[in-house]
Amino acid sequence: MCVTRAGKVVSASQGRARVEFFDGRALDDVDVSVVNAKKGAFVEVFGNLALSVLSPAEAKRRKEAWSEVAKAVGATRE
Amino acid sequence: MKGDGVLFHAKHAFMPNSLGYCGPDERGQIQRELEGNRSDDALVQTLQRFEAAYPFLKLIARSSGRDVFDYSVPEAYWIGNRLLDLVPVSDFYSFSHHEIKGRDPEKVREVFKQLDGVAPPHHTFYVMSTYATTAVPDGPNVSNEARRKIAEVVDNCRISWGTVREVGKDELQVKVRRVTVDDGGLSLTGPVVKKVRYNPEVRPFGTVKEGDVVSIHWNYACDVLTPRQTGNISKYTHSDISLINRLMKSGEGRK
Repeated sequence: MCVTRAGKVVSASQGRARVEFFDGRALDDVDVSVVNAKKGAFVEVFGNLALSVLSPAEAKRRKEAWSEVAKAVGATRE
Repeated sequence: MKGDGVLFHAKHAFMPNSLGYCGPDERGQIQRELEGNRSDDALVQTLQRFEAAYPFLKLIARSSGRDVFDYSVPEAYWIGNRLLDLVPVSDFYSFSHHEIKGRDPEKVREVFKQLDGVAPPHHTFYVMSTYATTAVPDGPNVSNEARRKIAEVVDNCRISWGTVREVGKDELQVKVRRVTVDDGGLSLTGPVVKKVRYNPEVRPFGTVKEGDVVSIHWNYACDVLTPRQTGNISKYTHSDISLINRLMKSGEGRK
């Protein structure tokens, strides 16, 4: 299933972006046009579409939550 | 039945995993197991590493007293069946707080409050509730183009179903109803024909034929559905849409 994932936009051009997620993975072709996210922004991504921009505080909370998930499922990639 | 359940689950989890949207980076292994019709321990261990799907299976399994990979359990989760009705809302509420990480606890609380305890642990409900509780910029005034993109991602991510019209080498023409988003919320369009990919090496697609009904995830035909399953996926999808629209009208959605 698709889970919403939070991550950081590390590069963006013409509404598409590379997003590095807090779970250690990344996607190269995320559509950030709906939220107009720029490089450095934290976004919440569903599938390949960014649905919202997160505040740094919310992003920090999501990052901590993902760390717990990674430990729970043994999928830590760090 | 357990082996069948493992394969049924893997078929539906395969494409989003292949696209990098969820689960461990094991698409090659999952594809090989599906093509070989094998449900060995290695595949089970991979499926246990999906961050959201596997916890949902565990929730449904413990509420119904069945094995996690009993066929009926992943069937309930992806398609819908009566096992969903056996999950106490209090268990789903607790699960949503403690076993699915990363969701805003306040929003989870509001979803359950607004829906008055009828939220099902069904994949489509989870997908649609994610959309409904995510703060998309411009809220109700979101542009038509943004709406189209949102509807497309919701439609791709839910499990849809369609009737096969034409069988190609690795594509099927299927008659489907897409998700659409407008001021009234979510709904399904009238029938449209679209192309989806399929793998003829994965059973039973070697013999798929016109008139079969297939389940679809990210434009990939996952399995051929029985009439009972077709009735269930329609019933539960319409119920999910109704719940989500109620949630959005309550004012909680898209804050």
